[in-house]
Amino acid sequence: MDYLIAVGECLQRGNSGETRENVIKALEVGVSHQEILNHMLEVMEVVGRKFKKNELFVPEVLIIGRAFNVALEVISPLLAVEEKYLGTVVIGAVKGDLHDIGKNLVKMLMVGTGVRVIDLGVDVPAAKFVEAIKTYEPDIVAMSSLLTTTMIQVSKTIKEIQKAGLRDKVKIIIGGAPVTNNYAKNIGSDFYAIDAGTAAEIVREYIQKNS
Amino acid sequence: MTGKERVLMTLNHKMADRVPWVPFAGVHAASLIGKNATEALTDGDVLFDSLMEVKKLYAPDGMPVIFDLQIEAEILGCELLWADKGPPSVASHPLEDTTKLPCDCTQPAPDKGRLPMVTDVMKRMSAEVGEDTALYGLICGPFTLASHLRGNNLFMDMILNEEYVNSLMEFTTTTALKMIDMYIDAGMDVIAVVDPLVSQISPEHFESMCHESFKTIFDYIKAKGKASSFFVCGNATRQIEVMCKTDPDSISIDENVVMKDAKEITDKYNITIGGNIPLTTLMLHGTQQENMKFVVNMIDELSNDNLIIAPGCDMPFNVPAENTIGVAQAVRETDKVRTMVENYEAPKEDIYVELPDYDNLDKPLVEVFTLDSATCAACTYMMGAMNVAGDEYGKKIELVEYKFTEKENIARCVKMGVTNLPCVYINGKLQWSSIIPSKEELFKVIDGLL
Repeated sequence: MDYLIAVGECLQRGNSGETRENVIKALEVGVSHQEILNHMLEVMEVVGRKFKKNELFVPEVLIIGRAFNVALEVISPLLAVEEKYLGTVVIGAVKGDLHDIGKNLVKMLMVGTGVRVIDLGVDVPAAKFVEAIKTYEPDIVAMSSLLTTTMIQVSKTIKEIQKAGLRDKVKIIIGGAPVTNNYAKNIGSDFYAIDAGTAAEIVREYIQKNS
Repeated sequence: MTGKERVLMTLNHKMADRVPWVPFAGVHAASLIGKNATEALTDGDVLFDSLMEVKKLYAPDGMPVIFDLQIEAEILGCELLWADKGPPSVASHPLEDTTKLPCDCTQPAPDKGRLPMVTDVMKRMSAEVGEDTALYGLICGPFTLASHLRGNNLFMDMILNEEYVNSLMEFTTTTALKMIDMYIDAGMDVIAVVDPLVSQISPEHFESMCHESFKTIFDYIKAKGKASSFFVCGNATRQIEVMCKTDPDSISIDENVVMKDAKEITDKYNITIGGNIPLTTLMLHGTQQENMKFVVNMIDELSNDNLIIAPGCDMPFNVPAENTIGVAQAVRETDKVRTMVENYEAPKEDIYVELPDYDNLDKPLVEVFTLDSATCAACTYMMGAMNVAGDEYGKKIELVEYKFTEKENIARCVKMGVTNLPCVYINGKLQWSSIIPSKEELFKVIDGLL
């Protein structure tokens, strides 16, 4: 039995228990942990694409993300530090914004691309983003705003990052229902993502190119 | 034909004299009277006054009384985070860590939460404008309400604990039916079930876990002799068909769905569709001309039966009033506005306009620029206010109206840099735009120039 293929199939179905079991069996028959991880990342890329095309929806993506994390727990101790993550992203919904479904999906799909994601949660003040940049030295800062009224906080946070002298140390990506590409350009964001799948793609491409 | 007749006829799938116009001025209404969102959503007098301003400026055929999906959640124990320029957000989910159901004793009742204020304003609106305006009572849809109560775990439950989701949906469906009773008793003509999160689940999940609830709700509204609407947000392209199968009288969509494609589906089910003027890119950040052009194109592109023109969702707080006035005029006077837009975009080199020598006027010059004071409600009020000054001051001032229906006047607007109508320039300087000044304010300015 090809346990590696079984890992992918169980992961796509979001079955945490079976994904975990097949990861363990694959390791037992000598499949390398790196090979397993790469295969899981390939599956997550497909998940991201399907989500973007409206072929998968929030419940399915959340459940697949859960299975991915369970399987990752098995492999994680075997990975060397440099193998673990392609890069680091700090993510949060800006001050005044409590909407976390979109932000959580972006986080999940980013994790699924092999990136370490530091989640600051919702209603995150600018100062907390600044502090996180100093602490985690991320490649990218990702901000979401679901309300027209909290969009201004995205701009304020970018200004605070600038003021702290950290702007040239990170790239910034923003998204959320009212945010547009034009708005992103106007307030000095490096990237704009129309949906969660696109956000994960942009981050992966950027980090791969620059790592 | 009154606006109310027009809306109800369209929701009854009959052709009215023209397409109805229903502005979703929720928190935005407060901005028209200089109040913030929280004031309008908690103080009945502020809410009522702001709605009356919507009625006056935007001449709606139908309008919601309150656009706040958190009313039910608040009663059921969710904490809210209030905002100045937006509706509140749910800050805590009472069922986040438990798969128990709330007690039936927590269900909404006329004396709970903000319902006494809301139903009182509904009754006042019904008495004041209900004869000619279709009033929409908006309730939180059962799926979104379930997510308010359970948080994001609800999405996982759909796969891991289907039985619990079904029980929770039964609870929130009961909530919806209670709200419908109260809102219909308070005089609402149309019940809109607003469920933005429906766009986030697959059509299969909708059918297995939501269909029954929505069907029950829409059948209930029908049985009570009222019209219904199903509002959704986000890219609901794939959900439109299953939404139709729950039998609402209408569906309202936002800019993420292509209206033409969605209408092909709703037409198949003989369901009215409403929408989908883009909220941020157009209503908030676009010009009046762009808003008028978008609506004219929409009316030209779509078959006009089973159609309502409305914003994609709750209008942003800071939408410039003139943009909505432009939209209203484009719906009400589509042919005239089509010509205006064409003339505005046409080259104007052949039209010579001489502007007054503003620095050397004999007397104060009041220039009123209108889309057309005969047909645009806001323009009528603006012109009316200026005519009061004309009557008061007589020959001491000069009062002129320039209607945008004339090519020469469009050329004048372009030359003067006038972009938003209606507006008033005094001695060549912009004094008021869209918001009509009080008599006292107007006289004070003129007195200062005499």
